Amino acid sequence: MTHLSINSIRLLTTRLCVLLLFGLFNSCSRIDHKQSALDPKGLVAQNQFDIFMLSVWITIFLFCVVGGCLLYVIWTFRAKSKKEANEIPPQTHGNSKIEATLIIASSVILVILAIPTLQGVVLMNRVPDPNDSATLEKLKLDRSQIDDAITVNVTGKRFFWVFEYPQYGIVTANELVFPASKAVRINLRTEDVIHSFWLPKLAGKMDLMPGQENFLWFIADKDKILDGEDASVAMPSVFNGKMRQVVFAKQKFTDEFEPVGGLFYGQCAEYCGNSHAYMSFRALAQTDEDFSSWVKKFQDHQNPNLQPSPYNPEQEYEEGAIITFADNNLGENAVREFRATNKIQKGQAPNLSKNVWEHANSDDYEIGKQLFSSLQCVQCHAVNRTGIGAKGPNLTLYGLRTSLAAGWMRNDKESLAKWLKNSQDIKFGNLMWNGEGVGDNHPLRQLENDDQKVNQLIEYLLGQI
Amino acid sequence: MATESIKYVAPEVDTKTKSKTFPRPSQHTSGVVNWLTTIDHKKIGIMYGLSALFFLIVGGIEALLIRSQLWSHNMEVLTNREYNQMFTMHGTTMVFLVIMPLSAAFFNYLMPLQIGARDVAFPRMNTLSLWCFIAGGIILNLSWFFTGGAPAIGWFGYAPLTDNRFAEVMADMGPDFWIFSLQILGVASLLASFNFITTIINMRAPGMTMMRLPVFTWMTLVVSFLLILALPAIAIALAELMFDRSYGTNFFDFLEGGKPHLWQHLFWIFGHPEVYILILPAMGIVSEVIPTFSRKPLFGYGLIVFSGALIGFMGFAVWSHHMFTTGMGVVATSAFSILTMLIAIPTGVKIFNWIGTMWGGKIRFETPMLFALGFITMFMIGGFTGIMHSSVPIDAQHQDTYFVVAHFHYVLIGGALFGLFSGFYFWLPKITGRMMSETLGKFVFSLMFIGFNLTFFPMHYLGMIGQPRRTHSYNEGHGFETFNQLATIGSFILGVGIFIGVLQFIHSAFSKKLKPAGKNPWDARTLEWTLSSPPKEHNFARTPIINSRDQAWENNYGPRENHSEKEPLDDHGVHMPDRSWCPLITGFGLFVMVLGFLFHQSIDASGELVRNYTLALIGGVVFVLGVIMWAMEGPGGYHLFPKEKDE
Repeated sequence: MTHLSINSIRLLTTRLCVLLLFGLFNSCSRIDHKQSALDPKGLVAQNQFDIFMLSVWITIFLFCVVGGCLLYVIWTFRAKSKKEANEIPPQTHGNSKIEATLIIASSVILVILAIPTLQGVVLMNRVPDPNDSATLEKLKLDRSQIDDAITVNVTGKRFFWVFEYPQYGIVTANELVFPASKAVRINLRTEDVIHSFWLPKLAGKMDLMPGQENFLWFIADKDKILDGEDASVAMPSVFNGKMRQVVFAKQKFTDEFEPVGGLFYGQCAEYCGNSHAYMSFRALAQTDEDFSSWVKKFQDHQNPNLQPSPYNPEQEYEEGAIITFADNNLGENAVREFRATNKIQKGQAPNLSKNVWEHANSDDYEIGKQLFSSLQCVQCHAVNRTGIGAKGPNLTLYGLRTSLAAGWMRNDKESLAKWLKNSQDIKFGNLMWNGEGVGDNHPLRQLENDDQKVNQLIEYLLGQI
Repeated sequence: MATESIKYVAPEVDTKTKSKTFPRPSQHTSGVVNWLTTIDHKKIGIMYGLSALFFLIVGGIEALLIRSQLWSHNMEVLTNREYNQMFTMHGTTMVFLVIMPLSAAFFNYLMPLQIGARDVAFPRMNTLSLWCFIAGGIILNLSWFFTGGAPAIGWFGYAPLTDNRFAEVMADMGPDFWIFSLQILGVASLLASFNFITTIINMRAPGMTMMRLPVFTWMTLVVSFLLILALPAIAIALAELMFDRSYGTNFFDFLEGGKPHLWQHLFWIFGHPEVYILILPAMGIVSEVIPTFSRKPLFGYGLIVFSGALIGFMGFAVWSHHMFTTGMGVVATSAFSILTMLIAIPTGVKIFNWIGTMWGGKIRFETPMLFALGFITMFMIGGFTGIMHSSVPIDAQHQDTYFVVAHFHYVLIGGALFGLFSGFYFWLPKITGRMMSETLGKFVFSLMFIGFNLTFFPMHYLGMIGQPRRTHSYNEGHGFETFNQLATIGSFILGVGIFIGVLQFIHSAFSKKLKPAGKNPWDARTLEWTLSSPPKEHNFARTPIINSRDQAWENNYGPRENHSEKEPLDDHGVHMPDRSWCPLITGFGLFVMVLGFLFHQSIDASGELVRNYTLALIGGVVFVLGVIMWAMEGPGGYHLFPKEKDE
């Protein structure tokens, strides 16, 4: 009986050990986690990684040498018996030659680390001069990659990110779209407390300091992102919703992480308050063409001149043109978007029959749009041309985003419904629930039991594509 | 110098007249009053140690709650605010209420014994330091019970998160408690430091030259200097923050032209020397333990002392390496990067010398030595990751990730706490007079060593694969789960180990069954081991005349001319000072004053802010009264006539 139980215990422990070791090895063997600094995909992060690995080898070497000495000493000079423990060894007091040698040796080792460190500091802080061809060659960069660099002004707020592209006059939030082959200059600002912009696979991190503008730059390594695959697979385009589809298909939000090339994860890395943990963001790499298409689409959506205007009989309309008509079915003074099914001649009387004008959007979308104003969402969020607010994330082209709540949730109907009903539950202390002027009587706080309104809002928001 | 001092005769007539006004508790006081009014450095040391061990348990529970929350993704053991409070309190508690006072406990108890003094230079000031420390600990932990609960600002309290403007709970009082608690703890440390410096400079026994001081005493001296130079920086920062919060000044409020960067500079110019304040005492302990258990003198004594001092003072030139990612520009980051690398050299020197000490020795592996060896290896790993962080590009990835968490726990647990535990196992037989169980001690070491490495080694990897610090939760799909679970299991093993250790320490003070220690159970080398265990109230019956560095060892094994001598017994005996209530009254006054400031604001019925300073004033009056009584009460005292062997 005893024998048996001992055996079974042995078996169990062996199995447990194997399982544990295997599990560890399995987890350790992967280093391409979403925010892994061990899997650099850009020049700056690669440089940081290289210096890190240099330091790892140096310290492993030192640990083996010093630790080896220590083990040798402990083993050799251990007191082997009680009697020996009472013996008195020679009382030596030191040896200045050995000391001096060791001090010089350790200084030399530090120099090995110091030189790449100083070079790295310069690289991190300064985009290479496009006229300095020697440096460009060393970094294997093309002049055009620097010349055509894009600039993004990043503003941190509790707990989300604003991304402004001054060259293109567009503003988005929480998902940074950038061209994979161009340098990206990031100017960092904050409107409240200190945050830190951390994009591990591309750039390392830099703090957002109140009252000061900080700087960071990165350039992705297109070949590494593509990894031999076609751009349409490895870097799905954002502007037509492909990226969102691929991410949703591949990313299960479970323990298994299936990387999508071109999708990078970032995180606020300076403690900034209650929901600091939830202040993440994403960066989406694009081919040059896809990036231009995305910018163009965004500019069009944010351009007031391209806003659908009321029907003008003095104008000719192409097929597919969108104009607005009053529609009392939606409510008093409500306006609705209609799409021309045919070419509309000048001077034609407004004819809302189905074969001439069709509803551009579903009823829910249109009601949702009105709710977006009447529930005071517009106070803080701008969508396309609607809304005056800049307090919350800009929601233009929201339907193309992959994530919700600053990268915390997948941007789909279920999550959005949860978020709209009670964002406090998901992200304690967020401004949407707790911001200035949001009290218990705010219409937002009444949404919890109003599935219909929530669905209409979702229809409108996810319809932003 | 001491040759004249024994001619001292107590002014007996004066004492009698003055003691009528403010009576000092006499020689025969016992019980609680004895502990409340004591001015004996040994009793103060014990009280420091016990309160710090209590806070160690409190901080440890906070740590275990943190680890439970991180067991898996999206856990809900704590809410996010509770979690943020936990890590703030854990950090503040462990730094200010555990490691610093544990070091202070050893300084208090041992330093006078090591230099052949009967007490510290200012015994009553020493008592005040203790009461200020306890008041600070109470004030910090009182925060749990008032508006907003404990502070949720991190132990570093970065502006502008501490500003009222960004408070996440209306009228959050947490940061105020934090400010005043740190301020009063600073007072405690300053009082102790000035006291220790004066004692070490002035009260060494004849023949105890500076280069014969035990290394632990040297580290006491260096740390005391670090404290008096570093604490003013944070005192100023805290005062400015208090003004910002209570009176609407704009030191750190960037919307009114203040500078959040300023806080970071002030905080870290205190905060980095603070790191050495935490580690140098442990290094001092290890420098005593390793020679003892190798039966050899310290290898390169001069270099160890010099590198200790050098580490301390270079510690003032590297503070900005905590701020590499705050945008200081190329020149500043490079300079601080290089300086930080340089500080690795004196640190390395110490490790070489400890190994050199063991070389050729006869090494015994008793519990104190195991902890000392654990210290060397763990501290080495912490030091190596420290070298990594000194490189700015590496730091740009590591800053504020779990890699940094792993690094400083290797330094502060694997380093400081292991060193302090080594000290406990080494010196508790001296303090309690009883030997502790070796078996249990080795069991505690094994638990702590395994638990510690299991907790913190995986964090290196977690940091590298992207887990940020100070986040109460992480999302699915990052792959953080496995290693967090290992860390959590490890932390509970570590917690159990520490808890058993603490119980063992306390048990050894009361158990009558344990073997008596005798004067020198380890065959140790320094002066305190020539005394009986526990030492008598008067420490030395006759002031020793020191003739060599490792005096206890030389007395046993050295040549005749190296043995210490004793000054002759004096007819007047040993003059001992009376106990005093004044430090307690003064400290209590300070405590009430702080409470008064904490609660001076209220909102009246019409919504107006009302300031009421009555309680603060009462506290102030008690404080001033305490100081006046202190100045007025006579020296008092009594004479002991110990026999020659009575020490």
